[in-house]
Parts: sequence; C-alpha cells; structure tokens
Amino acid sequence: MVLQNRFQVSRREILASFLAAPVVMRAAAAPVAPVAIARCPSYAEDQAALLRGMFDQIGGLGKLVKNKTVTVKLNLTGSPALRLQGKPLGSTHYSHPSQIGAFMRLLGEAGARRIRLVESGYGTVAPLNEYMLDSGWNVRAIVNAAPNVELVNTNGMTWKSKYVRRKVPGQPLMFPSYMLHPAYEETDVVVSMAKLKDHATCGVTLAMKNMFGITPASIYGDDAGVDDPNESPTKGRVETCHLGKRQPARIAESEVDPKSSREPGYRMPRVTADLAVARPIDISIIDGIETMAGGEGPWIRNHWRGALRAVKPGIMIVGTNAVSADTVATALMGYDPRAPKGQGAFRECDNTLLLAEQMGAGAADLKRIEVRGGRIDDLMFRFTG
Amino acid sequence: MFLAFLLALAMPAEWVPARWNSSDPATLELVRGTAVNCLVVERGNWSPTFAEKAGAEGISVLGLVRPGDDLSDLPARAAAAKLQGIVFEGAFEQTALSRTRAALADSKLAVVAMGPRTRMDLQAAGGIVATNQGVWPGINAAEDGKEKAAPSGAPWIDTNSGFLRFVRASLNAEKPAQVWIAYQPPANQVIPVTRYLQAIADAEMLGAHWLVTLDDDTRKRLLAREEKAVDGWKRMTELLSYFQSHGEWRRAGPYGQLALVQDVDSGGLITGGILDMISVKHTPVRPMPGRKLSDDEMKQAKMAVNVDPALLTTEQKEVLRRFTRGGGTLLTAPPGWKFPPQREDQITLDKESVEKLDQIWKEVNSMTGRNNLGARLFNVASVLSYMAVGNGGKQLIVHLVNYSDYDVENVTVHLLGKWKSVKLLAPGKEARALTVFETEDGTGVEIDKFGVIGTLLAE
Repeated sequence: MVLQNRFQVSRREILASFLAAPVVMRAAAAPVAPVAIARCPSYAEDQAALLRGMFDQIGGLGKLVKNKTVTVKLNLTGSPALRLQGKPLGSTHYSHPSQIGAFMRLLGEAGARRIRLVESGYGTVAPLNEYMLDSGWNVRAIVNAAPNVELVNTNGMTWKSKYVRRKVPGQPLMFPSYMLHPAYEETDVVVSMAKLKDHATCGVTLAMKNMFGITPASIYGDDAGVDDPNESPTKGRVETCHLGKRQPARIAESEVDPKSSREPGYRMPRVTADLAVARPIDISIIDGIETMAGGEGPWIRNHWRGALRAVKPGIMIVGTNAVSADTVATALMGYDPRAPKGQGAFRECDNTLLLAEQMGAGAADLKRIEVRGGRIDDLMFRFTG
Repeated sequence: MFLAFLLALAMPAEWVPARWNSSDPATLELVRGTAVNCLVVERGNWSPTFAEKAGAEGISVLGLVRPGDDLSDLPARAAAAKLQGIVFEGAFEQTALSRTRAALADSKLAVVAMGPRTRMDLQAAGGIVATNQGVWPGINAAEDGKEKAAPSGAPWIDTNSGFLRFVRASLNAEKPAQVWIAYQPPANQVIPVTRYLQAIADAEMLGAHWLVTLDDDTRKRLLAREEKAVDGWKRMTELLSYFQSHGEWRRAGPYGQLALVQDVDSGGLITGGILDMISVKHTPVRPMPGRKLSDDEMKQAKMAVNVDPALLTTEQKEVLRRFTRGGGTLLTAPPGWKFPPQREDQITLDKESVEKLDQIWKEVNSMTGRNNLGARLFNVASVLSYMAVGNGGKQLIVHLVNYSDYDVENVTVHLLGKWKSVKLLAPGKEARALTVFETEDGTGVEIDKFGVIGTLLAE
C-alpha cells in the first residue's frame, strides 16, 4: 500500500479496523474504476489538451458521451459576491471558466448531442447565465465552445415540467428519496465538475459533495415552502440539510429518522452519500489547479483548520467512479481517505467516502484503485500546509 | 493687491474642501495646482499669513468652530485671521448659533453650518448645505464576527450615497446648494489610500463633496512629505480633479425607472435605509420627495415605491393614482406602517426599523425582479453605481464605485435601450471605447477592469 508509510497507524486505528470488518468486506465488493491524475501548474496551460489526455488514459471521452445528453454539474458554491482576498472565483472555490470552456469544446468534439451546464445558484432562481455573469465569466465564450450548450439553474422549477423523485436505493441514510430538477433525470451522462477543497462540514468537498448542490432550494432551502416548493427562494439549505431544523417542502419525503443527530458533521456526509447513489455520477472532474485550503468558501471562519488561504496544488483528477476519484483526490490532498470520524480531514464529521462505500457507490480503497498518469506521492499537495 | 487675490478665489459653490491641520504656508505646496481649493482649519491654526498665502494661490481658508468654543467676537477674529468663512461643525445650541450667524451676516464671510443631518436646510438657495454625520464607506463583510458554516449572500456596503441621493433630490430646484458631508476616518486603524479614494468617490459620484479628512498618522506623514503619503495624497487630488473636470456630470439629472417616494419624515436622511437597499442591488432609482411629485417627474418611471403614504397630500396621492392608471406599478408600504421620527444623533436605522424595512424591501425586490430599469450590472458585488442622464437625454452617465481593496474585473453592463457608443473613463487614463453588443434589453458592454472608479458614458 503506497500510503502505508505516510499515514501512521495507531493501535486504536488497528482496533477500529477490526471493528469495521463488515465495512471492509463491503469495500471489497464495491466497484472501482481507474483514475487519471495529472500535474497542471496553471489555467494558462491548454486545458483541452490536458483533459483530452486524461480521458484518453481512462478509455476516452467519446465512448462516454457520443450522441448523448450530457449534464455537467458545476461547482458555483456560495454567492458570487463573496471572494477570497478579491481573487477571481475560479481561482479559489468555483469551477474555473477556462476549464469549463475547454471541456465544452471536448464534449462537442466527442459528439455529445446536447450539453447542459447546471447548478443551483445560491439563493436565486435567476437564469444561470446571469449567475455566471455575476461571477465575472464570459458566458458567450462558454456557450459557443460547443453546439447545443444550455445553461440551467436547478434551484427551482425553471422548466415547464415537474420535479422528479430519485429514490435512494438500498438503505437510505438521511432521506428516502430526493426531489430534483428534471435536468438530472432527462440525461444520459452526469458529470460532476468539482473543485479540490477542504470542507468545514464534510472534511473534503470533491465530486460527490459537489452534487449536494443538485437539491433545489425551492424544496430544501431555508425558505422553502411547507407543502409546495417556493419558486422564489432566496436562501441556502442550512436549516433543512445541515441542521435539520425543518423538513423539506412536503412534495419531498421527510427524513428517515427525524430523531437522528442534528449535527452538520453527521447529516451532510449522509446526504452526500445518499445522493451518490440516488443520482450517480458518471464522470468526475476534480480541479485542483488553483483552489483554497481551510474551507470550501470565503464565508468559513474560526474553523479548526485555521485561516483560509488560496493555494495552487497544480493537480487534476478525472475518473468514472466518483468514490474512486474522490478517494484518490483525498489522498492527493495529504489526507487518509479511510480515516474515521475524529481523524485527519474528518475530525468533526463522518467520512463521506466510507458512507458512500457502505452504500455501494464505490470502494474508498486506494489498494484497489488504479491510478494512471502519475503517482500520488509525486503529485501530493498537503492541504494542512 | 487684496482685491486681485479675492478675484482669483473660487466661489463657495465651487469649493472643493479638505481639512488642513497646519498653518505653515509651506504646506500649501501640497495643495497647489490640485482640485482642492478650500482648506478648513482648526482654530489653533487660524493664521493671517497662511490665509493670505493660500489666497494668493487661489485657495480659500475657512475657520472651524465647534460647540463649546468661544463664539464672542467671532467676526472680528475671523477677519483678523483673513478667513473667507466659518464652518460650524457639530450640534450647536440653536440660539447661540443663530446669534453668531446673525453677527456674521454683515461680515461677508461665508458660513457653513455642518451639523446634524436633521438640521440641514435643504431648501437653501445656493451656498453650501452640510452635515458632519456620515458613515465611513466600505464593505462590511463581517457578520458580527460569527462563524459562518454555510454559503451566504452578498456583503453589505456602508455608504452615504443613499442619503446624498435623497439630499440632492430634495435641494432647491431653482438654485441648488452644494452639498458637503464630513466624517472622520476610523481611529486606530491603518487606512490605505484606496479607502480615502472610496470615501471621496462615495460623495463625488452624487455631485457632493466629502470634507477630505486624513487620519492622524497619514496627516503627519503627509506634512512631513513622506513619499508614500504624498503619493497617496496625489491620488486623492487626482480623483477630485477627475470629478471637477466634468461639471456636466454634476448638472445631469438622476436616471432610473424606479421612483422612491420618500421624505425627511420617512427616512430620507437615514443611511442604510430603503434607498441604500435598492442601490446595493444596482437598481437605478430616483428619490422623489413628495414636494417634487408631479406627472412630469413621474414620466420616466415605470415603477414606484411609496414609503409612507400618510405623508402625501391629496394632490400628491392623485399624481400616484394617475401613474398607476397610466400603467405604472406602485408599491405602497403596509397600512399603519410609520417611519419612526429620526433623532438628531441618529443616522442609521435601529433594529426594529430594519426588520420593518426588510418586509418592504422583500416586496421591492420581488417587484423589480430582473427588470431592467435603466441598467443591469453583473459581477459588481463590491460596487455601487449611480446613473444620470445629461445632454437632453442623449448621454447616459454610469458611475461605478468599487469599495473593495482590489480591482474589479470582468463586469458586464446591460444598458436599457440602444446606445451607439459607450466609453469607459477612469482617473488618469485615456477614455476607452468599449465594444457594444446587443442584449434583450438593449445594449451590452463588458469592462475588463477598473480600480476605485469607472465611469461609463453612453451616447
């Protein structure tokens, strides 16, 4: 095991690993897929060439997207008004526009029939193009990078259509099902275009955690309707999802166990793991070229990790199994992907990777994941500084 | 000789003021050739030599007095110090102030009453209307210093611009006064020059002047000619020159299809009220004091907000009825809602009023929505804007003031209507023609970058 000599194993951890034997057995059964990693020092590099090369290493993009509707979930977390030290959003906590444009181009070249860029813009159902303009992006360049590119804000019902219910297969951890914008149903391929970041509530935020943003604020928001969705939401989802102070609008199913912990560190990893199987991710692209450490956005304060800082790990991760990709990404951040609650990145929360593994989404087991394009040891950037 | 230098002095309406904590004539070199043409000096620095030397440079010197100062023989003492005027800063006891002002009436000295906002004589014919109550402008990102564990919305910008918009709209229409606002920089802080530039632009974009006031450290370093402080001062005076060199901006009227019917008694003089709430969303809004409410004034508006209907006269209410019958959308404050009387020492809202206003604000936000009421601005979270129309409606002026410590990049502006050309102006830079493109509302432009101020001129 490559990481064995880097992460010191205590007697307590060894004991814990025996106690977690059923989980290990599940890890052995859960699927894995190769993960491509690459070094890329800046967004000025040819992003299309970079991504093309990485996809080639895992079998090529064409076979994944040709003649298909591809839905790309971006990471535009928090209001675009909030910046870390005034830096462009794509250099800290948002997906980077140049990389999105490059990926659009690749999708077009690979024969994608229709491309939908989706995100639930913070506290708004305004068109996604306006949200992107507010992020300082050249929307015209992104939309014109490939044929049939659409932008959809999935925070409310922006189509003449109905929300769709996605059941959580097996044993749900937080909600039995999730009501989502139909863009997440009427698609052949779902891409999570995430940012490599620490996360105050989930330890790390990568491809799977990025998908938390698919829950519409109209139903799961702090000002969601009680019965029906509020189609003019103005807030985030803290009350319902992070804190469990309220249930979602009744159009959606309530929590499996309303008496469960109200701690965000308990709840959010479970919501994330639920979503990983309710709406699986087909392609994970994790951008660690420029990002931030210490938290997932500039609003994080007084966290145990200390001050937020902009960092340049200069790494990219691409994979077709989100748990595999997130596991490799976590290791590249210098964290133990299998650390239990209370340790490493997961000091104050459950480990989403292990929960997703438990749900059968994939194995968070580096021994089973084939890493292509580079070695974790060589590309590792320790987020703990 | 004395007459000659008097002729060279600017008229009070043209004064661009700064506090000056020195009576050393050598310090005038810092002001020479700049837009600053009026120095306000503390009593300890009243000096005929200084005033004479300043006058020879075309710079007026005003003496500052505060409550508690000895006001006896003020005309004689001011004349002895060869001052051009007196500034009464603070909440003077009214009788004493009136008596002193009467004594000064024959002296030909200019008098500037710079006290509480509620004492401003908005109907004064000409002269200077001033207050010493203002907030230090800037981004107020901290939310009580508490940890934020989830994404949150946009930061609030502390600004005097809403108040100044209202004041400007309320001035004597025939002979409007020049407006000054004075406030001190925050104490015990290192204040970068950008914060001073923001304070200047916060007032200047509305055609008003901030009485430029440096913190103790900056002032000492400037008077000692420390290079960095002198460079900062140059940037401040350059920004003042930028606004002074465009007198037409000052004459241009406010533009926007949203009218805010508001008066002094309904919070017009309050900072952080409904006008600032609308401004921070970049909705072009025109304050409309009830007194000025007319069919003609409402022609430009498509939407209106009536903050306190009970304050309007029958005729004013009829203007609004005609406005709605003509297709305008009117939002009226909830029945029974009454703005609490503004105390003399109050310039911001108390908590209860904020909560009440929040209700109105939500409705205003819902009403304006994504409508383009003059311009829509994107990627401008740290920016406040002011739109004015000049040259008989042929020129649109959009001031963009950036309150962050960083340059603003990649701003998109959707102007309402078709405009053939749009230029970007900024202090010390050549005007630059922007590429114009069509939008659903009319005309779009993209601005790659600007610092504290950028001005769009559309024609």
